[in-house]
Amino acid sequence: MPVPRKTPSLAAACGLILAAALALGLAFNLVMPQGVGWLPPWVSRPLWQPAGLPQAAALHRQGALFVDARDPSQYKTARVRGALSLYPSELKLIYPLLKDTLAKAPLVVVYGRSRSRFPAAQIGQFLRGQGLSRVYVLQEDFAAWQAAGLPVSTPRRRSGS
Amino acid sequence: MRPWSEALSLACRLFLAALYLWAAHDKVWQPAEFAGAMAVYDILPLWSVNAASVALAWLELMIGLLLVSGVWVRAAAAWAGGLLALFTLLMLWAGFTGAGFDCGCLPGGGSHPAGFEAALRDFLMLLPALWLLWRPGRWLALRPL
Repeated sequence: MPVPRKTPSLAAACGLILAAALALGLAFNLVMPQGVGWLPPWVSRPLWQPAGLPQAAALHRQGALFVDARDPSQYKTARVRGALSLYPSELKLIYPLLKDTLAKAPLVVVYGRSRSRFPAAQIGQFLRGQGLSRVYVLQEDFAAWQAAGLPVSTPRRRSGS
Repeated sequence: MRPWSEALSLACRLFLAALYLWAAHDKVWQPAEFAGAMAVYDILPLWSVNAASVALAWLELMIGLLLVSGVWVRAAAAWAGGLLALFTLLMLWAGFTGAGFDCGCLPGGGSHPAGFEAALRDFLMLLPALWLLWRPGRWLALRPL
């Protein structure tokens, strides 16, 4: 007499599908060269040095070059005084234009932090890879810099245009 | 089930299977790029973006494989529908916030902007999943639930 195959309930089948997806995804990412780690390499294996707000403020006073890694729209609204804009999505396009300025800077501080991304760390890693030796990444976001009353530039509106 | 109902279930199943297999291919094979596409939404915390993107990519692949083979169709349709409902809400949110970036949902970056059009597309693709939940069908199915 044939034994009837036991069919899992809908919830159990959904759970098994999720478990299989997680196991396969984990195995693939461990084995394959293109697999991703828990964190992006610019966070898990940083080549840059972290800088807290007081240290970054001191570096700003000493003439460090600040790099804004946020989106250009945010940079245009407000930025650290004297900062350049260099953001991940157009890094390869913009970097050659800023290369000489960055190379002349005694040290560079990159800022720009958000919930899912850490573009400042990505840019900091890139700059270290380009041969810049003293690269710091601000561990706070721009809002914290602004709230601390540190130097900020906001573009003036043209009157009558 | 009547023949027309079986035929409709088979069509819905193959359509969703093709959609999910197509969507999953690049996400599974290029996980760093997909993690970057997910990070653009800026919803998840940094520590969870890579893990969530890997889980989602492989879940989509599993859904596609189960639907094309006709194994656990109802469970696969439940996941397919749940994800499409989630994507619809995500696209609506992107539309209201004026995000404007590529949705990262299908191959061909830049050609699928996140927003209201993508929300409508995802909602329409949710309908075959709902049909399969109700009528998984038995035609060309190895082991429907």
